[in-house]
Amino acid sequence: MRRVLTLLGLLVAALLLRQLLFPASYDVRRSQILLGTVVEIDLHGADASRLEAAVSEAFAEIARIEALMSPINPSSDVARLNMTTAPLAVHPETASVIAFGAELAQKSGGAFDLGLGRIKALWALESETPHHATAEELAPLLRDLGPGDVSLTDIGMAQRAPAVAVDLGGIAKGYAVDRAVAVLSRAGEVWGSVNAGGDIGFVGSRPDRLWRIGIQHPRQAGEVLATLSLEGGAVVTSGDYERFVEIEGERYHHLFDPSTGEPARRCQTVTVVADGAMLADVLATALFVLGPEKGFPLVESYHASALLVTVDGAVHTSPTLSGVTWP
Amino acid sequence: MAVSALWRRMTLGDRLLLFVLLALILITLPVTRSQGKGARLLVEQDGAVLYAAPLTASGRWRFQGPLGESEIEVAHGGARIVSSPCPHKLCIALGRIAHPGELIACVPNHLLLRIEGESASSHDLITR
Repeated sequence: MRRVLTLLGLLVAALLLRQLLFPASYDVRRSQILLGTVVEIDLHGADASRLEAAVSEAFAEIARIEALMSPINPSSDVARLNMTTAPLAVHPETASVIAFGAELAQKSGGAFDLGLGRIKALWALESETPHHATAEELAPLLRDLGPGDVSLTDIGMAQRAPAVAVDLGGIAKGYAVDRAVAVLSRAGEVWGSVNAGGDIGFVGSRPDRLWRIGIQHPRQAGEVLATLSLEGGAVVTSGDYERFVEIEGERYHHLFDPSTGEPARRCQTVTVVADGAMLADVLATALFVLGPEKGFPLVESYHASALLVTVDGAVHTSPTLSGVTWP
Repeated sequence: MAVSALWRRMTLGDRLLLFVLLALILITLPVTRSQGKGARLLVEQDGAVLYAAPLTASGRWRFQGPLGESEIEVAHGGARIVSSPCPHKLCIALGRIAHPGELIACVPNHLLLRIEGESASSHDLITR
């Protein structure tokens, strides 16, 4: 009897030891359409109910950012700002996003611009009736564009130049990913990712290996151009192949060059690796417009790195980019 | 101390049995942890799951979105959107999905088709 009890005790001890050494791991993976794209959250950890709650909270956080910064929502800060030319009190988070965007507009020499709303509306590329904007139509809209067209006053109120409409499309998605990552990180010992249509933020590091992130080939659907091995941070891609329409046989995409009001023509795709998704988002947009010669120094000045494909199909990498493998 | 005392008191048979038990626990670890399952199609709208079934369940289903009705087809282990009221029909142009991790989104009509299951991809994510 004593021997049986001893063996049973050993068995229980072994099971407890297994639980201690190899705790149960759960994976919560959910997707929602937010910010005009598909947002996927994948979170791993030992407490399933805590993971579920954290993922729900992260989606709610993204929806909150969308409500603040979507130009479509009539009560958003952006929509209200576009209804007045006077300085406007906005939510502190909107103000901080505008401040960061205005800084990048300045440092990129205007390649990144927060005031492209009217240009985008004129082209209407995502509507049922896209329009090929002419130089005559674009000229009055370009007049006020440039660094400082959207800015903050000394007391933190947002303001815009009269001929521009604020559009935070090149920055708000990255900010929302950063916020979702922050919310998920509060769930304790967890790891995972937030992917908002190619704007990816990582929650911690994988416990077993580095993250393996494929970069979509810009001209071969379903093929990977290169693979990045990353410990964490964020990675964002801007390409001319995701949202575009063909008008009279020519491709028109959603990444506009603020100096011309036309879709930027230097690159096919740009991928930026940075500490945060908002930074990577803005740098990717600016780099897409600038191309490698002027864009890489900007990227490096923010301790980020990048890979891009120019319009002729040539691949370029910034000097500090590491962890790239080619197929 | 207690462990070494216990170890000394164990006979060879006890030790063998203990070894077998530990080996069994370790061998079954990958099986019990993988929780593997076949590929399932999920159709979601605004965070709510409207449909979830194995990809082997062939048929056509209609789902109401803010723009109208979208129709999906599940056949031969894959799924696709066959009709949609959205302006550009990009969701239809995306074609068929059949592997875990793949998805089709109709952003204007708030419809998301996703295949759930163990992914065989060598990448964690694709940035595009």
